Amino acid sequence: MSIVLIGVNHKSAPVEVRELLAFSDQACTEGLRNLIDGEILREGLIVSTCNRVEIVTAMADGQSREGTDRVTNFLSDSRKLPLKLFDRHLYNHTDADAVMHLFRVASSLDSMVVGEPQVLGQVRRAYSLALEAGTAGRVLNRLIHHTFRVAKRVRSETGIAANAVSLSYMAVELGKKIFDSLAGQTVMLVGAGEMAELSARHLVNGGASRLLIANRNEDAARRLVQEFGGEVVDFNHMAPHLAQADFVICSTGADEYVVTEALVREALGQRRNRPACFIDMSVPRNVDPAIGKMPNMFLFDIDDLEAVVTSNIREREREAERAELIVQSEVMQFQQSLRAMDIGPAMGALRHKLQEIARTELGRQRARLGELTPEQEAAIEALLVSTVNKISHPVLTQMRRSFEASDAETLQSLRDVFGIDE
Amino acid sequence: MRSLLLAVLAAYVVAAIHSVLAFINKRRSLLRVSDLALAAGFVLHTAALIADWVVDGHYPLFFPRETLSFLAWTLVAAYALVLYRYRARALGSFTLPLVCLLTFVALLVRSGSDATKATGLSATWLFPIHTTLLFFAYAAFFVVFVASVMYLLQERELKLKTFGAVFHRLPSLTTVNEIATTSAVTGLTLLTVGIVTGMLWSSARDGRVWHNDPKEIFAALTWSLYFLLIVYRSTARWRGRRAAWMGVAGFALVLCTFFGARLMGGYHVFG
Repeated sequence: MSIVLIGVNHKSAPVEVRELLAFSDQACTEGLRNLIDGEILREGLIVSTCNRVEIVTAMADGQSREGTDRVTNFLSDSRKLPLKLFDRHLYNHTDADAVMHLFRVASSLDSMVVGEPQVLGQVRRAYSLALEAGTAGRVLNRLIHHTFRVAKRVRSETGIAANAVSLSYMAVELGKKIFDSLAGQTVMLVGAGEMAELSARHLVNGGASRLLIANRNEDAARRLVQEFGGEVVDFNHMAPHLAQADFVICSTGADEYVVTEALVREALGQRRNRPACFIDMSVPRNVDPAIGKMPNMFLFDIDDLEAVVTSNIREREREAERAELIVQSEVMQFQQSLRAMDIGPAMGALRHKLQEIARTELGRQRARLGELTPEQEAAIEALLVSTVNKISHPVLTQMRRSFEASDAETLQSLRDVFGIDE
Repeated sequence: MRSLLLAVLAAYVVAAIHSVLAFINKRRSLLRVSDLALAAGFVLHTAALIADWVVDGHYPLFFPRETLSFLAWTLVAAYALVLYRYRARALGSFTLPLVCLLTFVALLVRSGSDATKATGLSATWLFPIHTTLLFFAYAAFFVVFVASVMYLLQERELKLKTFGAVFHRLPSLTTVNEIATTSAVTGLTLLTVGIVTGMLWSSARDGRVWHNDPKEIFAALTWSLYFLLIVYRSTARWRGRRAAWMGVAGFALVLCTFFGARLMGGYHVFG
């Protein structure tokens, strides 16, 4: 059987096309039941996310052209979309390429944001839908289990998911570099802009224990308190609260410095030189850059956050290169195991056939041997079977060897000689 | 015990290489190898030291070879403690290469000749305690030094916002700061008790507690510096950068104490 993967992703097709091709869970199972006929298309599953629609199938040998046509027609029919509208966006991978593609997808190497964790869950979901539809068989089961293994290996052996790549999560990331853990830290929001709110959410989820909110408009501050808990503090007398804050996240609409050097100097004495992290998300800036030069004070403005994001993305890309190597070696391993799996039944049939001959012959001649103890009888049978096995062993070895060398001709002639058909 | 020490060196080299590679490539799977090799090396090393003690008949901390080997051993012990307490793996990538170097030099240096003198000196139990405590103090100060360097590197990245390779690999400022503080307190305690036992031993030997020799002067300076460091840290006047620089400067003094006496001569030169 050969594995064929047909689909579109965020690189090959614009969102207008992807959204038309997307499958709901129900459409997946129904579609699979229609598509998989057991003749040409033996097994199949559909991965449908916002970034990709891919159909993975196992097709009968030598029928991949016909099978591929059926899959594309199925896409067009079931999505009620003329083929010519999406034909040029489709890609089509066969065998090793298809396996490689699926491994890369599940390992999040083919994602828009390399290393994002959702895609593995989406592949898992696609598999359980295929199981539900009854269209996952020997080949796909093996393929998907191997895929999960590869994804796990990539995640644990490389750092592709190690560093945050979203701006609002940066506060957490930087905080961990300064404070190690967020547990027990106090976060202060100055201004209640959207970005600040998002960062605060990440910090609170990350374990920060106290939230102070200072806003010119106290109503807006109270609204946030209702959502996150925390307390509203006086915007005009920030110094004593600044002294308590380990994180200060600032985003007001003001066009001058709201957190001034004088204010922080006042707070600094009370902090007894404990470090503090200021994150200024506003443009124009609201935190005086001079604060960043004070000892034990760390200040990051929006450009700095962008720089960390860029650096983290670069770091992920470096890690992705290592992940690609893992994927390549796993593809080879999978191909090998698949080949061994395919030849298994043939080899079993051969061994079984020869042993059967030995047993029948023994049965025919048994009467002539006269009275035998059960041990003697067993010994004679064992003798025959082991003789047969010894003789068939080099044949089986040769079968496996020609199989691994993809030498179909020798393989077929060996099958013919012994008269085994699957 | 050369062959045993060779095996120790081999284990340490394996541990060091894996630790450094893990630091560079951030591969966690390498750390297991590093830990296992280090544990094996440490057990063998302990065995080698005990064997030396039994065979040579004196506490194995007298001649240069023993000294270096013992120092490497205390460094491994200190690193293991920090690893256990703080999981600060990055420390290993700095410490283990030095451990390898010390063990390697120990293998090259010829063992001492005047064994009777060593046996005589270690006959009183105060002398081995004095030296052992001080060696553990050196190891603790080395940890302070490495933690301080890590602090300075990390703080620099955060202040300059360069976020280079180091940024992704070092532990947080709080962690390295804690490691440095704890190690400094431990080191100072060991140093104090070590100096006191030395004085007791010396007064029992020739009635004097102070010989004005370079090693003693440097030790006194070292003691004052770490004492100041701890006082400043606890009163929170100096934190972060300044304390870290002090940790680096302190280690320079430790090196002077360790090597200074050998170069300048004096009461503390025996071998």
